[in-house]
Amino acid sequence: MGQHNLRTVIGFEVGRTLGKKKFWVITLLVPIAIGIVVGLVTLGNTSSMSNIDAQSDAKLTFTYSDASGYVDPAVAAALGGTPVTDDASAIADVKAGEEDAHFVYPADPATTPTQVYGIDKGLFGNGEYEGVATQVLITSAQDQIGDPALTTMAQGDVSVTSTTYTGGEEAAGFMGVIPPLIFLAMFFLTFTLLSNQMLTSTLEEKENRVTEMILTTLNPTALISGKIISVFIVGFVQVLVFLVPVAVGYLFFRTSLNLPEVDLASFTFDPGQMIVGALLALGGFALFTGTAVAIGAVMPNAKDAGGWFTALIILMIVPLYSVSLVLSDPHSAVVQVFTYFPYSAPITAMLRNAFGSLAGWEAAIVITELFLLSAVVLQLAVRLFRYGSIEYTNRVSFKTVFAGRTARSLARG
Amino acid sequence: MTSAAESLVHIDHFRMDFAGTTVIGDLSFDVQRGETFGFLGSNGSGKTTTLRALLGIYIPTAGILHIDGRPFTPESGIRLGYLPEERGLYKKESVLAVMTYFGQLKGLSKKAAVAWSTNYLERVGLGDKAKVRVDKLSGGQQQKVQLGVTIMNDPELLILDEPTKGFDPVNRRLLMDIIEDQKKAGATVLMVTHQMEEVERLCDRVILLKGGRAEAYGTIPEVQNQYGGTMIRVGYSGEIPASGHYEISLRDRNYAELTLIGTVDEALILRDLVDAGVLIRSFTTSKLSLEEIFVSVYGDQNEMAGA
Repeated sequence: MGQHNLRTVIGFEVGRTLGKKKFWVITLLVPIAIGIVVGLVTLGNTSSMSNIDAQSDAKLTFTYSDASGYVDPAVAAALGGTPVTDDASAIADVKAGEEDAHFVYPADPATTPTQVYGIDKGLFGNGEYEGVATQVLITSAQDQIGDPALTTMAQGDVSVTSTTYTGGEEAAGFMGVIPPLIFLAMFFLTFTLLSNQMLTSTLEEKENRVTEMILTTLNPTALISGKIISVFIVGFVQVLVFLVPVAVGYLFFRTSLNLPEVDLASFTFDPGQMIVGALLALGGFALFTGTAVAIGAVMPNAKDAGGWFTALIILMIVPLYSVSLVLSDPHSAVVQVFTYFPYSAPITAMLRNAFGSLAGWEAAIVITELFLLSAVVLQLAVRLFRYGSIEYTNRVSFKTVFAGRTARSLARG
Repeated sequence: MTSAAESLVHIDHFRMDFAGTTVIGDLSFDVQRGETFGFLGSNGSGKTTTLRALLGIYIPTAGILHIDGRPFTPESGIRLGYLPEERGLYKKESVLAVMTYFGQLKGLSKKAAVAWSTNYLERVGLGDKAKVRVDKLSGGQQQKVQLGVTIMNDPELLILDEPTKGFDPVNRRLLMDIIEDQKKAGATVLMVTHQMEEVERLCDRVILLKGGRAEAYGTIPEVQNQYGGTMIRVGYSGEIPASGHYEISLRDRNYAELTLIGTVDEALILRDLVDAGVLIRSFTTSKLSLEEIFVSVYGDQNEMAGA
């Protein structure tokens, strides 16, 4: 019966959430926004590519003046340029529409901007002028250097690969930090998306006066557990919906979006770090969800609960404001407090775990603390819901909730 | 008083304090299996508190509150239908979804819950509202849905806290018919109501709660006897004499109401009146109605409008 009720609660909660238009409107807003951004970026990049292509068979004709002496007249001529000495007259020709553009190269193009005057071709079309003006300089410089490799290095287009060692072993470096940080991102994203749902999940019974019907029909532990699992399932669906456009964008538009190719083989997956990261994320999620449910059971409405919940969120994210301290001095007193205080522990410990400064025994303490406290908070949430949610319009006091234990024992004795 | 073993509901020396105030002082009563029991009292007399403590929602300060021999929990195994005073359903969901949900929680399969709900909605005139959101229904319609949720598991024990509150007379009759059907099907009914005609129609026994204690307890005739028992209405000419057998509770020029003191044969009263030279035009005897008893018990209280 317990399993049946748990499944029924999960089915009801998940079904009614996913069945609501409002849920999908809010959920789809994010991927739609991502899609719009992707579209704009793609459009912009396509336009830039078109500009570059257009430059290749440049129909553009322009005049230019060169105070630097770096511009190779042959290069400029090949791209459609004609040297002039009277900038004012050349600009007047552009204004009159007799010339496409006029470029003024300063004495030191490296420190002083080259000025471009052209007939307006719209937001994207105007990029062609800057492209041609820049190309003239680059090609002229390459010709003067005379060596493509030197030219590449002069442009700073070089890559460096580092290998470092810790304890005689090759350190994972940055590629070893990212995988365990995924758990931090998942924890933060899930909590941010679902926080409101966590808080209102038990408030709903209270606000709708359903509590008495529920309490006489099923065990509150089954209800609370079902709601927490439902929140997790709904969150999983939301994350999936968010990830779909990201995956589509990466798989099909990676080139046009200028996204780097991710080579999974370049990441280092440390099994210990990954397990610790997963347990910290799970324990943190359980603790925060249980606490949110407990707040919902105590408060008469969402407005009153909001203040307490905000405090909870601040406690959770406060380590992010001290991230440099967490990374640079993980053994400082402040970071130690953040590491072991339950509500700041998940993010602090996940950060330290990713950057390798969380010792195994520290991880064990934090994980144990999170799971134990989660169990206590869950029991507290159930008790608060059982004896607190009947207070439909009042905030229940802990004294009221716990005062009756002795009396109950006597009554049953 | 029945023994705890025969009772489905057994409450013994129940006491409930809230913030130092005693709401229920010392309450004991039993509800036998298969009976319909009226739990009566003015507003604020502690009826709802007693039900909530019986159902484990409140923790009693002292005393024993058992259903089927033990404190109630949803896992007790007894099929319970509870219609609370605070009405409420999931307002943003459809009527059928809510009923199906509770049906499943009460052990029905989804298919059975849907079928039962559909039939019930047809019976109470809400057949076309199955797909409508609960908050789009009127208050009375929502109450019908809630009563359906209450009885949908064929309950052994039906606890109804003011079941017809807010209903018009037509729907009140419909709901009383439904409750009567449950009774005929073998359900034990514990009912809180202020509608005395409902009590007289349905209840086998009643308890009157006053000041956190049982003011009266028993079958309706027993309670009527406890509160003056028989009333004699007399149409007459002459002068009705004073007597130790009755009190003259109302006297007009040719009409009087005599409340008998103790157990007295009505024929003896009639003979005494005739012997005293009173010309009797009419002579009828009746028991005090529950409503009259209720007013006499709670009439001196100013708490009728309270919570």
